[in-house]
Amino acid sequence: MHKAGAADLTHLMAFSPSARTNELSNFSFALILALPVLVFLLLVVAYPLGYALWMSTHEISFFGGYKAEYVGLEHFADIWDSKKFWKSVRVTASFTAQSVILAMVMGLVLALILNRPMRFAGLVRTLVILPWCVSLYGTGIMFSQLAKGQTGLGTAIAAALGGTDAVNFVNRDWVIQVLAIGNAWNMTPLVAFFLLANLKTIPTRLYDLAAIDRMSPLETFFNVTLPPLRFTLFVFTCITTVLSMKLFDFIFVLSGGGPGTTSAVLTYQIYKESFKDLDLGYGAAMSFYLLAMILGSTLLLYFIWGRREASNE
Amino acid sequence: MTRTIWSRIALAVILIWTLLPIYWFLKISLLTPDEIARFPPPLYPLEPQPAAYFNIFGFDYELSNGITRRASGQANQIIRGLQNSVIVSIIVTVLTLAVVAPLAYVFARLDFAHKNKLLFAILLAVALPPVSTLIPFYSMYVQLGLNGTILGLVIVTLTITIPFVTWMLIGYFRNLPQVERLARIDGFSRMGTFVYVMLPMSRSGLAVAAVIAFLFAWNEYTYALILVNGTTANTLPTAISGFLFQHPEPQHMAAALALTILPPALVAFLLQRHIGEMNLVEPVR
Repeated sequence: MHKAGAADLTHLMAFSPSARTNELSNFSFALILALPVLVFLLLVVAYPLGYALWMSTHEISFFGGYKAEYVGLEHFADIWDSKKFWKSVRVTASFTAQSVILAMVMGLVLALILNRPMRFAGLVRTLVILPWCVSLYGTGIMFSQLAKGQTGLGTAIAAALGGTDAVNFVNRDWVIQVLAIGNAWNMTPLVAFFLLANLKTIPTRLYDLAAIDRMSPLETFFNVTLPPLRFTLFVFTCITTVLSMKLFDFIFVLSGGGPGTTSAVLTYQIYKESFKDLDLGYGAAMSFYLLAMILGSTLLLYFIWGRREASNE
Repeated sequence: MTRTIWSRIALAVILIWTLLPIYWFLKISLLTPDEIARFPPPLYPLEPQPAAYFNIFGFDYELSNGITRRASGQANQIIRGLQNSVIVSIIVTVLTLAVVAPLAYVFARLDFAHKNKLLFAILLAVALPPVSTLIPFYSMYVQLGLNGTILGLVIVTLTITIPFVTWMLIGYFRNLPQVERLARIDGFSRMGTFVYVMLPMSRSGLAVAAVIAFLFAWNEYTYALILVNGTTANTLPTAISGFLFQHPEPQHMAAALALTILPPALVAFLLQRHIGEMNLVEPVR
């Protein structure tokens, strides 16, 4: 007893002003914990970015020995005037818009269904999260098996209904839709699980009140369920937009930008310019257009939607 | 009554949406070569047999009718890819957690100069498309001799996992109860508060963060395609892409793909109820 008291006293004495100066300030504590990582990130993110910037202002050639010649903003101007580039922009925009809308809608539907009490809820949750475990190249392989004529579901169903022709969805008219469905399939669990977490925070009392007010299920959805989800919906629209625009491996595996150039999104075009045509400067310059498109569309989403939601909170 | 019917239909729809693509390739992995060549493609395997799963590991498999399905020529690639993938994923997961937990904690709970700018830099790193950093990494690696090495792949994968997982954990740490003052009163130092109080409190969050990091590392393909493909450091994804363009044996490819889904599916199964505790929305609010 006596001893404990003494210990307390020394403890108190240790907490004198002179000892307190040994305490770390917020900033230095933050620095100690965060600095190594930030330096690492700077090295491995800023350096490649700076290198890409250098490449984008140079004409780099390999034939007849490695040569890099400064060309200023010529690549950027050439790309701006290139029809192929603008076509890729359109393909990217269309693919992204379809992927995002489908992923958000399916994510919301999944979350709403998972939020209802049901038997085997844990099993259903486990099954529903599966697509998210599949890699993007794996999704590419799976959807190409599913959509192509020789192995496809379309052919199997058509044959079951008495058809004789192969039904191939990886064609000029449908390849973007196939890609968007596959991409949305992969992203949906992510959206659904975070929306589900959000749904769980809505007090059940509100649903009781809605029932007293004799709201229809649709009215209940728009007045009770949707409002607390809106900011989350905005954030995930941004996330899925970014993910879709920077997507490469999935498209590379599934369609390889084809048939022709129908599914040549910007990432694929950059890959082709850089690694197939070995025009490194041109490819690097184009990747900055892609980065601008990614940041631009997120900012646009923020200004037309996110700002309003953030102020509503 | 009608309500239960509708909810059953809804459940059926989401299960079909989720499982059909998975079913379709699992089916292909169980087909015999005759069934694969058949037109129209069968809806289910008529004589399901696991030959492909043995073949991809380099074993011959004798069917019940006496025909032997020969081992895949890619077996060595697959086995080595599997080893490398496991090594890379585990190293990346451990390093990511070690690095990201303190970083996210600092961003979530402390105020300091330039915090928002640094946070923005992290989000920018998430938005960076891999195709635009591929060539710089490639040429950097050629100079440093890191091409075709596991170390190189680990470093490049960390640039994907660290920003994303940091972002995720920031929201998680912000939602934990404010116990720092109490811990400080009890005599913990700042570092002690973090190590002995906050980290044990955030076990489930850290577990999910580990799963995410593992998943990203395990499934990484774009960098691996350029940096380690065709070398001794090739990973499972690049080994599988060997099937894609060289050797048309769909059942082997499907079996190898099933192999890649198994580990993440297992961890996801163990941790699915904790995923909702993560918060990607909080940091940008």
